[in-house]
Amino acid sequence: MSAQQSTTTVHLAPPLFEQGAAEEFQKSGRTVSFAASGRDQTLAIYAAPNADPQIRRSQAPPPEEQQVYLASCQRPPSSERRVFVTDTSIIFAALQNLLKKARGKNVNILQSEDDMQVVTKLANDYINFCKECCMYASQNISRTEPLQLDAEHYRRLYTCFSLFGVLYMPEPGLENVPIGDDLMEWLNTHFIEPSTQEGDELSSQERPWEDPAFWPYLIRTSLRGLSKASAFFLDVLSKHPSPYLQSLAQQLTPLLTNQPRLRHFSAERDFAVASRRWKDKVKTLRLELDRVPESEREDDFENWWDRFSDIVGIVEGRGDVIKKVCAELGADWKEVCAVWGIFVDTRLRREDLPDVVAQVLDEMPPDPTDLEDMIHSSLFLGKPRQALSEAAQLDTWLAAHLADLMEPIELIDTEPDDSELSLRQHYVLEYAHYLHSDPALWRITVDYMYSCGQIGAEMADQVLMRVPLHLQTSRNAAASAEETARIRDGQLAGVLKLVNETCYEYQREEIRRMVCRIAAQTFIQEGEYGLAVSYCTSAEDWPGLGRVIDLVLEEYIAQGPANFASLVAKIAPSLHNIRTDAATKLRAPAVFLHRLQFAVRFAEFHHRRAHADGQSAAADVVAMFREEIAPRSWWAVLLCDAVELLQCNDAMFFSSSDACLLIQKLEETHLRVAQGSGDDYLTVLSRVVKGGEKHALQRLQTVRLSLARYYARCGAIGVGGRPSGWYH
Amino acid sequence: MIQTGLIPNAHNDLVTDASYDFYGLRLATCSLDQRVKVWQLDENTGSWSLEHDWKAHDAAISKVSWAHPEFGTILATASFDRTVKVWEQISSPDLDGTQLNGAGPAASSSSTRWVERAMLVDAKGTVRAVEFAPQHCGLKLATISSDNCLRIYECLEQPSLASWQLEQDIDVLALPTATPGARTVAHTMASATPTQTSAGTDGNSASLVAHALQQQASQNQLQGRPGLGTREADGGWCISWCKDKYWGEVIAAGCGIDGVVKIIQLNSSGRPSTLLSLNPAPAPPAPADPKPANATANANAANGDDASKTFAITSVAWAPSCGRSYHLVATGSRDGHVRIWRVRPPTPGEDLEGDADEVEGKWGASIVGDFDDHKSTVGRVEWNITGTILSSAGNDGRVRLWKMTAGNVWRPAGHISVEQAEEQQGEVDAEMAVEDP
Repeated sequence: MSAQQSTTTVHLAPPLFEQGAAEEFQKSGRTVSFAASGRDQTLAIYAAPNADPQIRRSQAPPPEEQQVYLASCQRPPSSERRVFVTDTSIIFAALQNLLKKARGKNVNILQSEDDMQVVTKLANDYINFCKECCMYASQNISRTEPLQLDAEHYRRLYTCFSLFGVLYMPEPGLENVPIGDDLMEWLNTHFIEPSTQEGDELSSQERPWEDPAFWPYLIRTSLRGLSKASAFFLDVLSKHPSPYLQSLAQQLTPLLTNQPRLRHFSAERDFAVASRRWKDKVKTLRLELDRVPESEREDDFENWWDRFSDIVGIVEGRGDVIKKVCAELGADWKEVCAVWGIFVDTRLRREDLPDVVAQVLDEMPPDPTDLEDMIHSSLFLGKPRQALSEAAQLDTWLAAHLADLMEPIELIDTEPDDSELSLRQHYVLEYAHYLHSDPALWRITVDYMYSCGQIGAEMADQVLMRVPLHLQTSRNAAASAEETARIRDGQLAGVLKLVNETCYEYQREEIRRMVCRIAAQTFIQEGEYGLAVSYCTSAEDWPGLGRVIDLVLEEYIAQGPANFASLVAKIAPSLHNIRTDAATKLRAPAVFLHRLQFAVRFAEFHHRRAHADGQSAAADVVAMFREEIAPRSWWAVLLCDAVELLQCNDAMFFSSSDACLLIQKLEETHLRVAQGSGDDYLTVLSRVVKGGEKHALQRLQTVRLSLARYYARCGAIGVGGRPSGWYH
Repeated sequence: MIQTGLIPNAHNDLVTDASYDFYGLRLATCSLDQRVKVWQLDENTGSWSLEHDWKAHDAAISKVSWAHPEFGTILATASFDRTVKVWEQISSPDLDGTQLNGAGPAASSSSTRWVERAMLVDAKGTVRAVEFAPQHCGLKLATISSDNCLRIYECLEQPSLASWQLEQDIDVLALPTATPGARTVAHTMASATPTQTSAGTDGNSASLVAHALQQQASQNQLQGRPGLGTREADGGWCISWCKDKYWGEVIAAGCGIDGVVKIIQLNSSGRPSTLLSLNPAPAPPAPADPKPANATANANAANGDDASKTFAITSVAWAPSCGRSYHLVATGSRDGHVRIWRVRPPTPGEDLEGDADEVEGKWGASIVGDFDDHKSTVGRVEWNITGTILSSAGNDGRVRLWKMTAGNVWRPAGHISVEQAEEQQGEVDAEMAVEDP
């Protein structure tokens, strides 16, 4: 069973109709419909009417209870699989870093031995992770969570990835070295034959050659280059009744154990000389073998001569013998290919391999039902594209990470196809898509996506912007109260911080701003206007900022001054920040800053008024007019709110020139209203007094009276108000 | 594929639409029972619980749509009562007596409620679809109703959501199939044959004639089927916004029974225009034009004498463009086909080049996937957020998935069925790990 495409069909439970009853289902006026979630790969599926509701109603009675099914096209990674994907994402990130640096320096990593060394090491890291995961999954231990995928699956990943390593990721400098030994090592690591058990059984016998398993075993060890095992049993043959065999076995042993290997020679010439000598000895052995009389070639059980001849044939490098022997042993094409590099063509190089493999596969095709075998054969044949397509069927993890390595070493084309994605991007995105089935893995999901060009980046944006911010206190109280509290304190914390960091890392300013705007909106909904202001500012969302201020001022209209003042007290720090930031980087349009300043000043005024600080309150009113902070629509409100200060009998808070200013504003208001601009000047006051323009004008009459009296008092004592007030 | 959950007793009658919110943490459902329900996902357990439930309309509800969260928590519902309503979720520390329509909290623990903010009553037929515009267009929504009118509304007062201006009122069928400069898909597909490139304005008038013929044909067809043939029953009304900012406000709309989806450019200042028509059937040879219908479109032709017969498009879905230079638009049709259109906008700057190749400066489209696996009316198509997987649902009781594979080939990627499985029920249950409600 492959990792993700475990099943292509799912039948929902409980079913809505019997098997084969689709027609009746339709006749009942129903169809199915669904909605797709942006959070993961979930679909919400439900029975829907298949026709116009009015018509349907006449046809069928409303069915019984309606349910909504939830189904996902991916099984999200869990248990060992989750560890596997998160751990390997670190290797992936390291490779992206390396490639990024190389691109930055305009270096082709294929030309850089140091870089290639690192790439090879990273490929080995992947291989080791597959191995470890396979070992972990095969342990017979009790687990907190059952395995999502079995050891067999990881074994497949391990064999495929390590074959890729052997064939395509040689140590730098060793690219042209014959590949036979490496291939045989790969085969012996992953497809162990003959089994140790067989060896143990045979070695415990006095006369193992009487066992039918003996010769096959010995031939296999010879094929596989397992010279110790071969030597052991050849030595046992010294007790064989046939003196011929005794002698032949003795001669064969050194040939198997001392076959010259190129890697053991520092100079190719020395190797050539040694090989020639060794081959001469093989020839001698063959001659001696042929000299054994026909009558002596059998013991009581077997024609030992034929068997022995097969081994000598292998050592001689005779392809037909090797193929025949492999077929008899049930060994497949892989074994033939590996043996080829050991005995037939000891100088077999990577680039020659596909020709040899193609010939072998002609006679011994791979198993089309076995994806692993198909991937192996494609890799052997030097068909990376094909290998990726098969790997994707086995596990998108494999296809993505192979493709990610194949591109920098120029195995696959970097040019995008018709879909505007390169082959690598296609597989990496498909894997990222699988990761997205678990929303908690969003960080690595976007890491993979952001490595895939412009299209990948915009796909990542779609994921990143949908990461839930969890700002709501009520819903998340238990989960991370501390974190939420920190956000409330105005700090970046929790998911919001992580999303912000990711945006910075990949330079996704537009997404960062959108996330800030959404955060601001959340805070607005909760009445946290101070935080809303900071997030609007961070998003440079000035219309949004304007709306927050409007909402705050709205509080004044709806709830009165007391609530308003306490609300604004929370905004003040944000305003301060905007002021300081404005000097450095922020360019908030003046109009919004102006409104914000007014809201804060207006609140300060009410705060002081409420705390009987009449003098300061009066100074606020005057300053708001004088500095032209107050919008015209609020003038009337401001004047009305000043009445209380004007009427104070204990003190005179306004100088006569201040009073003049207020009179001036009052007159302007009256004048404009008379000219028909009531909408501009009286709307807010009208709403505050909860009446029409008429009520507002009445209220202004009181202002006029208070001002007139106040001004008269000013005149009576000469100029200005005395700081100490005016005594009767 | 796996079943991950079940919401039992969702509604008292068939569910007409469901929509996930931006984060996929909430699911809004609406039903023939005239109610809207909002379900909330518990991220820890993966289970869904009812958060709000209210009677939203006086007739069956057809569609529900979420606004982008930067505008607040806002839903729009369209109904067979010919209205569209806009709802907002607000926190309700105190339930004061303001006359807010219904929408009381379903669960007592809930500290929020939904209030009706606006009712849009312009439609002269049942409203079949509503969809908020992408967030970069501002707080706007599009509706389409059985009067064949596409209406675009813009919210004028954002915090209060009270006033919505009818910005555009477009009779989709009356909108010329292709304005000069744009081309019908039949012509676009013929672009391989040089003789056809002269279409230009001639092509435009030809397609108008074709359109008239089509309408006539469909009327005849309806007359020939007494009893069954109400236009509403055979029609389809659907919309989907283009998610890409670059091209301004563009929307795909299909209506009635003409089987064509029009890609419409909306200009807040000027008149809307059709950029392109997605028509799977070749345009019937216009009387004025002696040339036979182009050969390339034959692949998509309905067979033989059925050529003039059209099938309503029931659902259209515009994929997020995600940095691609082309767009993907999927349609589901009563002819049982799911089609994936690759829509190619003009390459920026080519218009300036002028007449080097007239075709280059136009919108064009080709079908990159055409699947009739449902073998019955396809009622819905929808993309995932990256535009890489298309899902479709049909009267065969199946939801099918379609996926782009390497080399830009679209392939089936499994399906979900509500049919009883072949295996024993017990095994199915065990395999699926259905949660207990």
